[in-house]
Amino acid sequence: MNPALATALLVLLVGILFVVPLLPALIELRLKRDAYPLNVIQQYAGEIRHFSYGFRVYMEVLLEPLQKCAVSGTALKGAMPDGDEYLLLGHSSAALSSSIGKKTPNCSSIVAAGVDMVFPDGITFTKEVYAANKLVSGQRNIFQALLGENDIHLGRASTIIRWAHAVGALRAEPDCDLHGRISSDLKIQLESGCAFQRLNAPCIALGNSKAEVPDDLAETGEISLPIGRRLVDEDLEIKAGEVVAINIITRGRLHIRAGARVLGSVKSNQHMTLDANVSVEGSLISASTMHIGPDCRIAGPVIAEHGMAIETGTRCGSIGTPTTVTAPTIEIADGVMVFGTVWARTEGRVVPKR
Amino acid sequence: MLYPLIGIIALILVYTARHYFFTLNRLFGFQRHPYIDIDTANWPKVTILVAAHNEEKVISQILTALMSAHYPQDRMLVIPVNDRSTDRTREIIDRFCNDYPGRIRPFHRTSGKGGKAAALKDAMKLVQTEVILIFDADYTPGGGLIRQLVAPFFDPEVGGVMGRVVPLNVGTNLLTRLLDLERAGGYQVDQQARMNLRLVPQHGGTVAGVRLSALRQIGGWNDNTLTEDTDLTYRLLLAGWKTVYQNRSECYEEVPETWPVRIKQIMRWAKGHNQAMVAYSLPLLFGKHRATLRERLDGFLLLGVYVMAPLTLIGWILALVLFYEGVAPLHGVIAILSFTAFATTGNFAAFFEIAAAVRLDGSRQRICLLPFLVLGFAVSIFAVSRACLSQLLAPITGAKFHWDKTERFRTSS
Repeated sequence: MNPALATALLVLLVGILFVVPLLPALIELRLKRDAYPLNVIQQYAGEIRHFSYGFRVYMEVLLEPLQKCAVSGTALKGAMPDGDEYLLLGHSSAALSSSIGKKTPNCSSIVAAGVDMVFPDGITFTKEVYAANKLVSGQRNIFQALLGENDIHLGRASTIIRWAHAVGALRAEPDCDLHGRISSDLKIQLESGCAFQRLNAPCIALGNSKAEVPDDLAETGEISLPIGRRLVDEDLEIKAGEVVAINIITRGRLHIRAGARVLGSVKSNQHMTLDANVSVEGSLISASTMHIGPDCRIAGPVIAEHGMAIETGTRCGSIGTPTTVTAPTIEIADGVMVFGTVWARTEGRVVPKR
Repeated sequence: MLYPLIGIIALILVYTARHYFFTLNRLFGFQRHPYIDIDTANWPKVTILVAAHNEEKVISQILTALMSAHYPQDRMLVIPVNDRSTDRTREIIDRFCNDYPGRIRPFHRTSGKGGKAAALKDAMKLVQTEVILIFDADYTPGGGLIRQLVAPFFDPEVGGVMGRVVPLNVGTNLLTRLLDLERAGGYQVDQQARMNLRLVPQHGGTVAGVRLSALRQIGGWNDNTLTEDTDLTYRLLLAGWKTVYQNRSECYEEVPETWPVRIKQIMRWAKGHNQAMVAYSLPLLFGKHRATLRERLDGFLLLGVYVMAPLTLIGWILALVLFYEGVAPLHGVIAILSFTAFATTGNFAAFFEIAAAVRLDGSRQRICLLPFLVLGFAVSIFAVSRACLSQLLAPITGAKFHWDKTERFRTSS
């Protein structure tokens, strides 16, 4: 072979071998298939009612026919512009039976109730349910999503898959599984055995606590907390009845004995224990786990990075100063009240009083 | 010459192991986001400082975004820190003040020392709230970002907060696409891994917050440094305050679109970072303070990242010289095996980190550009080495540090 040709071929071959691994990069650079900024939703504000608001807008086209059904006491089937079937109930839930599968009790239409409605037991709603008035579900109902313009009462062992929002009160009987976002503009009451993830309402009553707002918790406005802090490198115990007017940060465990009062915030980097009747004016934060004893009062956010248990009678936040209680797993005893948000990323559960 | 080379290789190996450790932690470890779920609270009053120097192209966008933020209006005050602008920045800010009375209080600075830290330092006389957030003018905060950045301050141990920076002008050219990948690696993996491992997340000086009492305790903003954010990170750490990183608190920024601007930016970062290294390495490692052993070690390694560039260059030169001088320990066998092992794992560490970040972000095709990062790294190595050299020679040449504002590329306000 001609040496010049051989050299040229060799150079060409080396060039090809060099370029081949870069081909995907060159193609992407040229075609810009993935040259968009990472999707940051600018208006995202973590609003728990986001989906219920969107569903309400979606349902607007059905409000007039739903009203007619309510007045005439009839039911109506149809399809939304996007093809989803709907069932409007104007008098009772009897029309549901014709929409339910014969072998499995599934309702695959969007269901809207125009009057106060009681659903039978054991139905699975695979699409959203809209209730213009009060809604009482049967036992073991499964809802994909549920919007109630008035009160919602979930029967024993019912399940919410994605979200539920009640403009009025939302009450869940024992052993309900409430996945996703559960909110009310008035109050939420979950009975013993209910599991949950994210709850938001002005007043959240867990177990058998009364969902009325106690007068002593109705203060409003900004709380002025101390800004000084005490750093402790080992375990710390705050004595029973002691009043501490400073923020406390411990590297070890923290034990606050019964009746103590902390006027600032508290942080421990290991397990934190609060005995009965402890009061904390600021936030309560554990980088590990946390146990809050009975009848405590916590004003600020309550955070445990690994898990939390709260005993009966404890109050977190108030109507005027709502707060957040959050941990991957939360175990709340009957009789606890939270004003604001309870958020268990993995699972929260209401357990019987010990 | 052999022993310095071995020393450099050992250092490179430490950073390689660090890259792998962070990436594996981010992929498989427990992820810490302790404050992100605080969505209901008695939100404290907050002051938002917007650093602006000749920002007529971008200032109205950030002010508009802040005015529509989901935060109680009566508890949020925006202070645009107009630092000696000679363009229409002042006029635009004043127009916003008229449109939103009581919600924006301008700070027009017409003289004084140059630089962001000096401007922030002067603006502090207007700040009366315990929580302060800081944005550069080219950032566009989303509706929920203010609450997300304020939430960590409910923790009394937290002195500083840092959010995630996301490039907006990704698709402009190769440089912006490479910077997008670098930012992803730096925040999605590096910063979050430090947060997970309770190490030293770095304060970035924008999309960030600081507690007023902590700032006062450490003596306020340091206007003698080119990177007030790095400086702040270490002074907070030495004073017993934590800086936390919020990976889900994302905010768009504009990245440099030309290589000269990028080189200028990274040279400023390198010089400022090295200033911090000189000032805080020894106190951090051996001083009497609350930082844990892991914070001391990670903080020290973080301080050294920009010095690694000239050391790598020196390592290359030494390796070449040794090769041509025929120096090959143990007949070259160990050298060859070590080189091969490092070539297959060591060089890949930073790429692995970025690839993991892109995967975590759910992006698909942009990972294809990974080979081009070699170009970005090469430019960075030479630019950072040049910055380090100029710092070393500064006592001889008499060169003084000055703060260069990063040029903006947006065409309209």
